Amino acid sequence: MNAFNIHRAYSIARKEVMHILRDPFTLALALGLPVMLVTFFGFAIDYEVKNISLAVSDRDNGPASRRLKEVFSSSGYFHLVEPAPGEGPVAMVDSGRAAAALFIEPDFSKNIQGGGRVEAQFVLDGSDNSKAGAIIGYLPGIQRAAEAKLGAPLPREPFSVETRFLYNPELNSRWFTVPGLAAIIIGLLAIMLTALTVAREWENGSMELLLSTPVRPLEIIIGKLAPYGLLVLAGVFFVYLVSRLVLGVPFEGSHLLYLAACLLFVTAALSQGLLISVITRQQQVAMQFGMITGLLPSMLLSGFIFPVESMPPFFRYFTMLLPPRWFMAAARGITLKGADLGELAVPFLALGLLSFGMLALALIKFKTDLEP
Amino acid sequence: MNFTLKAFIRKELTQTLRDVKMRALLFGAPIIQLTVFGLALSTEIKNINLAAFSRADDAMFGRVAEGFYSSGWFNRVGYQPGEDPLELIASGRADAVLIAPKDGLARSAERGDGRMQLLVDASNATKARAVEAYARSIITAAAGREYGARGEPALRFDVRVLYNPAMESSMFLVPGVMGMIVCLITIILTAMSLTREREIGTFETIVSAPLSDAEILLGKTIPYIILGLVDAALIVLAGYLIFGVPVRGPLWQLALAALALVVTTVSIGTFISTVAKSQQQAMLGGFMFLFPAILMSGIMYPVENMPKAVIVAAYLDPLMYFVRLIRNIMLKGGDTYVLLTNLGALTLMALFAAGLAYKRFRQTLN
Repeated sequence: MNAFNIHRAYSIARKEVMHILRDPFTLALALGLPVMLVTFFGFAIDYEVKNISLAVSDRDNGPASRRLKEVFSSSGYFHLVEPAPGEGPVAMVDSGRAAAALFIEPDFSKNIQGGGRVEAQFVLDGSDNSKAGAIIGYLPGIQRAAEAKLGAPLPREPFSVETRFLYNPELNSRWFTVPGLAAIIIGLLAIMLTALTVAREWENGSMELLLSTPVRPLEIIIGKLAPYGLLVLAGVFFVYLVSRLVLGVPFEGSHLLYLAACLLFVTAALSQGLLISVITRQQQVAMQFGMITGLLPSMLLSGFIFPVESMPPFFRYFTMLLPPRWFMAAARGITLKGADLGELAVPFLALGLLSFGMLALALIKFKTDLEP
Repeated sequence: MNFTLKAFIRKELTQTLRDVKMRALLFGAPIIQLTVFGLALSTEIKNINLAAFSRADDAMFGRVAEGFYSSGWFNRVGYQPGEDPLELIASGRADAVLIAPKDGLARSAERGDGRMQLLVDASNATKARAVEAYARSIITAAAGREYGARGEPALRFDVRVLYNPAMESSMFLVPGVMGMIVCLITIILTAMSLTREREIGTFETIVSAPLSDAEILLGKTIPYIILGLVDAALIVLAGYLIFGVPVRGPLWQLALAALALVVTTVSIGTFISTVAKSQQQAMLGGFMFLFPAILMSGIMYPVENMPKAVIVAAYLDPLMYFVRLIRNIMLKGGDTYVLLTNLGALTLMALFAAGLAYKRFRQTLN
């Protein structure tokens, strides 16, 4: 029994690198996925909902109702659609051709000129919450603008609030999503790729063969995982380059700290992949396991889109067991807020503990599975 | 259906369902996922940590701050005297800080100013936007309490939210998540199962069996279509029982929509399997399709809100049609126009994908 030998681990790693390089299709896909994700989140997604089609039923057709419609269309959020003849605005909402409908009563202009109060009914499609929530948020602004335009200025509010948005003054959606993408890429590639490659060795029996050679289990593991770790880090580096150079997302904090967070999370993810492969030993099952315990939590329970703090208490505590949650906090803190290690002590500590716990679990499971 | 094909399908189903882990994944995991997503993911922002900075004797500001804490959206954050509000946000202890005017809110309001400052951590842009909206409505309400309601606004919107009046997140997410899970399971399973047969060499055995090309293809795909449909039904049932998500439209419409989707995704999975040489490639290829399909489907982000080029691409996304269909059928009760256009498009896609898969499949067989 000899101790860990770096040369043997290196040989295994070289074999694995050749495996990866011999399969350019896999390599292209593995590097193509980060490109696709960063393109999509960098360019396609904007949380500010626009292009809302508003069906208007104007039974007044006077000067005031025309001005009200103008306020809607000039807000930049709505574009007005005329209901088709013989079809009411609600039917338009039913069929999805309009997201909202505005009803203006016959005496609208007359009442407002007489100094009276007027009401307009606003009906909106609640089958898409993300849109409906945004539309409701726009209404107070529209109402203020409309009152000013209709010549019924508000009495001055005694209080007002001046909001300063720190770290992302223009509330740019990209600044919010792109720094979190590294978590998704690591969650996807590190967990799934390793789960699959190691499961493949089990599936076609070559793992037993490898284990019967003088190579120690730890050397096999390190040799097999290190190339994938590098591949994943290449994906993360690529996202970093695009986000800095193309998307202009700031990077306020320390690069070294960011690298440390990535390494910790990659360790956790690779260990998780290894653990899955040992448990399942079959690629198809390993893949599904990897997806359910790896990819989906990094996308949905990490705070990437849905804030962890808004979840019910059980899930707030449950997410503490998920490395991506802590990585997300660390990544956003470093890139946008320029936080230092002192401020990120909790995420780093948790990430470190979970990573080493996961690694230990994978190693133990791997070793015990060798003895039948 | 002929006897050989039936036997073949039965063998495929037995083979897939034999493994306990696979059974658990196929039927348990979707339910767990649905429950987790339905319970944990909320589009409503809550538990915002707010600190209120003022002089100790500013009673009016104290009442305004109380309005924040009693709204249910904000948690109280304490601070040491002399602490820097910015530091409170930088360290992550507070998400937002409300700061009173220097000379007290009451005096400032009498001078006709009354301006408070709100610092918001915008490293999460959606959260920041919600915080500002909440703050505005709370402060307006507080002003009404302190100074009596200002004159009723001249224009008032009477807002009615159709189909989901309480704006519950589960109603919105469950139909979408169902499409997502069915899509994930069918594409990846089909793509990997066929590649696996090739990888371990059992594919040759099947090819040498007395079956026609079409029979082999049907035998390998129909089991996954059945599994996909069972999962879809399971998720609708779970959504109804756990979250009370209604099915307001007729069930046959739902079934037709699910069938069209599953045929499309299984065909795409088959197509990927004919291109992929290993299961790893099949998985990555599956994700190359799944990621854009899910992101452009409107499950999480409204499609209309994307740039023109992406919208054009979204029209090629079967999941987008399915999400529109299923939200319409489940929440709105089904609309003929929506049903005809989207189901039509989805059926065309299913036929096209199935044809393509058949063509590629025959090529690989020979």
